[in-house]
Amino acid sequence: MDRVEVHIPSDPIFERVVRASAGEIGQAFGFSVERVEDLKLAVSEAVNNAIEHGNKRETGKPVEVVFALDHEKLEVRISDHGAGVGTLDFSRHVVEERNLEEGKLRGFGSYLISALVDDCEVSSSQTGTVLTLRLYRKG
Amino acid sequence: MTNAIRREEFGEVAVLHIGTPSVDGVSAAAIEAACANMRPITVLDFSNVSFINSSGISSLLKFVVTARKAGYKLFAMNVSPHHQKIFKMVEMSRFMPTIEERDLAIYR
Repeated sequence: MDRVEVHIPSDPIFERVVRASAGEIGQAFGFSVERVEDLKLAVSEAVNNAIEHGNKRETGKPVEVVFALDHEKLEVRISDHGAGVGTLDFSRHVVEERNLEEGKLRGFGSYLISALVDDCEVSSSQTGTVLTLRLYRKG
Repeated sequence: MTNAIRREEFGEVAVLHIGTPSVDGVSAAAIEAACANMRPITVLDFSNVSFINSSGISSLLKFVVTARKAGYKLFAMNVSPHHQKIFKMVEMSRFMPTIEERDLAIYR
């Protein structure tokens, strides 16, 4: 199994570093252009969640991302050092007129993650949250 | 962030050419700033955009909200197939339908 690790400070600008890594790794794994874009977006959302909701943008707390590749799948593990989350809502979330009127313009990230990867799981405690994404080689 | 939006205007139309390849949390503020000067027909041009995440979608929704309040029409142009898929997934396309560049010719 090949592993690539990327550790970033909790500053949104560095999410772009992880996203670029995801793009390169997805290409190296042999994913199609569309699947690479799905991977980049799912990883982006997960890393931003870790920065914003996990580490609360405390730059001294790193977000650790591990890409693990084997012959059947690419697994991405995103870890933060926050106080943990109760649950993550992966349900379908779309733009609705009522939310526009109320100024609720956020909250699509977890839905996009779940819709773009083959499976994902969350493990959370008082010392941090780990979100694991898996994308399987198809065909 | 400079050159996040290049503005082109003719008649009632404003075409806002997004200049940053990433429409994300980092570029959101610079993009949203263009909300202040929308026209009755406003078109967001995504030809230079290679990435949009949910923070970027939130910033684009500011244009939707502003357009609805003012009774303006908002369109998206040159949206990549991947971003069309994402817009469809979150039903953004209902509020910001796509338009072809050639359709703007009648306004020029």
